Parts: sequence; C-alpha cells; structure tokens
Amino acid sequence: MSAAWRVVVAEAFKQHRRIFGTKLVVFSMLVWPVLTLATAYYTILPVTAAPGAAARWPLVADPQRLAAFLAAGALAYTFFFSLVQSAWHFSFERVSGTLEAIFLTPASRLALVIANGSGALVQNAWLFGAFAVAAATATGTLHVAHPGMYLVALAALLVPAIAWGAFLNSLLMFSRDSAFLYTLLDDPLWFVAGVRLPLFALPLWVKAIGLAFPLTTSLAILRGALLDARDASDLGGELALLAALSVVLLALTAVTLRIGERHAQKTGSLQLF
Amino acid sequence: MPTALPTMRRNWLVTLRAYPWTYFIGTVATGVLTVGLAYLAFHAIGGGQVSAGFLADGGTGDYLGYVTVGAAALMFATRMVLWVAKAQITEQREGTLESQLLAPARRLPYLVGVGLQAFTTTVAEVAVMLAFAIAIGVRLPAPDPLALLCAIAAVGVAVFGLSVPLSAIMITVGEAHITQNTLFVGMALLCGFTFPPAMLPDPLRWLGEALPLTSGLRALRDAALHHAPVGAVLPDLLICAGLGAVYLAAGLRLLGPAERIAVQRGGAA
Repeated sequence: MSAAWRVVVAEAFKQHRRIFGTKLVVFSMLVWPVLTLATAYYTILPVTAAPGAAARWPLVADPQRLAAFLAAGALAYTFFFSLVQSAWHFSFERVSGTLEAIFLTPASRLALVIANGSGALVQNAWLFGAFAVAAATATGTLHVAHPGMYLVALAALLVPAIAWGAFLNSLLMFSRDSAFLYTLLDDPLWFVAGVRLPLFALPLWVKAIGLAFPLTTSLAILRGALLDARDASDLGGELALLAALSVVLLALTAVTLRIGERHAQKTGSLQLF
Repeated sequence: MPTALPTMRRNWLVTLRAYPWTYFIGTVATGVLTVGLAYLAFHAIGGGQVSAGFLADGGTGDYLGYVTVGAAALMFATRMVLWVAKAQITEQREGTLESQLLAPARRLPYLVGVGLQAFTTTVAEVAVMLAFAIAIGVRLPAPDPLALLCAIAAVGVAVFGLSVPLSAIMITVGEAHITQNTLFVGMALLCGFTFPPAMLPDPLRWLGEALPLTSGLRALRDAALHHAPVGAVLPDLLICAGLGAVYLAAGLRLLGPAERIAVQRGGAA
C-alpha cells in the first residue's frame, strides 16, 4: 500500500509541475467553458422563452435557474473533459519513451493510472470549480437540503471522474492514436449526457447510451443536490448506479491494463507511436 | 498562379492520400449535434414554438432553419481556418517553413492555393451536415441561388482574410491549439451562428460586428431563408468582404515579421 501511495504522490507532483498555471489550463478550463456556456444559454433561450415552454419544463420560468442548470452541466462536463485531455497527455508518455520505462518498474499499474488521472483532475479543474463556486454564491442559485449534500455532490463528481480518467488512460495501452479521444468524447459526450438539455428532451436511445457514461448520472446528482435541494435518500437510486458504474470502470481498467501489458510484452509496442 | 495552383494540387494529393478523418468527424459532429440540440429543444421544450424575442431579433419563426444555416457556416469557417491558418505552422512542424521562405514564391498565392483546396473539401463536408439536417426534416424554405452563391463567396473571402493574421499569430507564438480554439469559441458566441447577436449585451454585439462573419451570416440567412435578392443583401455582402479584405491586408503585413520571429526561434513549433 505504501508503494502505491508513493506512486500517487509522485504522479501528483509530476502533474502539478507539468500542468499548474499553464496557458492551456487557463484557456481550456476557464475561458472556453465560460464562452461555450454563454453560447449554449443564448442558443436555447429562443425555445425556453417560447409560450408554453414553462409548462413542459418549469425551470425555464426563471432565466437564472436555467443559467444555473446549464452552468452545473458545464462544471461536470469540464471535470470529465479535463480527464479526456489528461489521457491525451498520457499518450505523450509513449512518444517520449517514458511509458516503457514506467512499465519496467514494479510500480502498481492501477495506482499509476488512477494517480495520473486524479492528479490531472486537481490541477485542471480547480479553476473552473472556483469559478462555479464564486458564480453560484454571487447569484444565490444554490438550493441545498443540508450542508452534507455539498460533500455528496463533490464525491459524486470526483469519484466517477477519477475512475473515468483511469479507464481512458488504460485504453491508451492499446491505441497509439489518441486523437480519437478528442473526437469521440468531446461533442458526443455533452450531447448524450444531458449537459445542455434536460434528460426528458432526449430520445430514449440517446438516454440509453448516456447511462453508460458516468457523467450523465454524476450530473443528475450534482443538479439534484445543489439546485433542487434533494437529499441523499431522494438520490439513492442515482448514487447506487454511480457507485456501480465507478466500480465497473475501475474493474475494466484493471483488466485492460493487464491484457494491455501482456500484449505489449509480446509485441514490444510500448516503444512505438 | 504558378504558386497557387501547384499548392492546391499538392494539398489535394495530401488530402487524398491521408485524409484527416479525425478533424472531419470532429467538425461534422459539432454541426450535426448543434442542429440535433436545436431540434430536440425546439420540439421537447418549445413545443414547436419560439419566443417573441427571437421572432423580433432573428426576423423569422424558423428556428431550425436559422440554426442549421448557422451550424453549416460555423463548420465552414472552422474547417477553412484549420486549413488556411494552420498551413504555415504545419510547414514549420514538418520542417519545410525555411524552404518555403527561400523559394521565390509570394505568400498570398501560396495561401490562396491552400484556401482553394480547403474550399472544395469544406463545401463537400458541409454538404454531409446539411444532408443530416434535411434528413431530420429541416427545410431551407426559399433560397435565392444567386444571392446564396454571392454570400458563400463573401463568407469565403472573410474566413480567408481572418485566417491570415491568425497564421501570423500561430507561427509567432509557435502554438496553434489555444489560438484556434479561442477563435472558434469566441466567434461562436459573438457572430450569431446559433442565435441572433441582438440578444447579446451591446459591447459584445459591437465586438461581433468587428468580425466579418456576423454580416456574412446575415447575408447567408437572408438568401437562404427569406429569398432575398442580391440587391437586398448587397450592404451585408460588402461589409463582410470588405472586413475580410482588411483582415487579409493586416495579416499579410504581419506575416513578414512573424516569419522572422519563427525562424529566429527555430526548432519545431
């Protein structure tokens, strides 16, 4: 356990030195999400302000609540997308030759990919997180059942995001092309997860795909806990689903890493890119 | 011409041999999902209606047509910028920028060659997105073919003009990812691709008017949705192409110093 902890500390330190305060973080984790959030708000405003829209979606009666709904979506999406970005950076380990060196050490592979993802998440997402907290406090849009729900919301955001990041990192054991991550998991991810629309507006098949992504459930809990004053018992089903999804992702990560390493030992592909 | 046509031919060869599928899928997905989002929101939340504010600011009740034209234009602008603005930094990354600088070819024809090839592939890609929109039932009610062609040409000039100073910035700072994406999210908000810019606060609206795409989009929509003849969209066409020409002239002035900085810095971008 102490060996795994050392891996975690080393990765966290590495990610801090690599990411903290870089221009890419300021833009991709604050400027772009804020501008995109504003665009999403104005894009759906013509239909949410249509006559009769409030009967179908009561939240739209108050533009501030609509903005908070979309901002919660942007926050969760930014957390999950930061891990897509970090997995993309993890693929550089292969290019620079350090992936092979890491796999020659006896370091726990699972600890490594989890630490890499969580380290990147902390370094990336604090900026937008701080922005979201400041915006929510300033506008007074939070409706929370009791203070403990802040912790539930935070855990519902962090735990699955870290499992998601570990899983993405493990996928890169097989693929040398990391551009697919950006392509498949940028726009389609917000679409199926209900980031910019309520889930009831999505067709059944899109909802079904969305359920496979932890972001969807994570976001449902975040919105329920912080905007609709629902407590842990109201959100029991979602919390159980999210816990199950996180366990499944971590188990898949462990299996993928083992198969991937065996495959790489046979083909020598860790040096190739 | 001795520079533009061979450059166009070279880029065609590169495209045919190693087509950048990732970029293609990425931009088509953005367009398709933007139209998809509008479609679902329009039916499930709006119940097939739009707000009075949109009717007044957008000048139409056809929300889906409005968003589709905007999404197609956004895709067109994004792809053109990715080709033209990144042409020189790509040369630098591949190690051919110095050879390009040594060659007795002027920069404008080179970029025009890149732009012409980009235009042809981009139009085909936008057609894929429009086919999706038509498949889900979006109709562009009354396009005026001549005005539409003029508007597409003006937007083409505008995007080309905008790409040249961007190229100078990219090779100066040796970075493309942040520069290009900041432009994309900025123009998506300011130019009125998916909503009327009149909904924005005044300072942002003025900022949007400084980008040629805002007037270009007005012309495109008037031609595609309102059957406006060329005469009616002429002022917007002139503003769009004129602003594009201003950006182009500024960009060409900046390219020289930018190239000097890029070469002095050396190494890969």
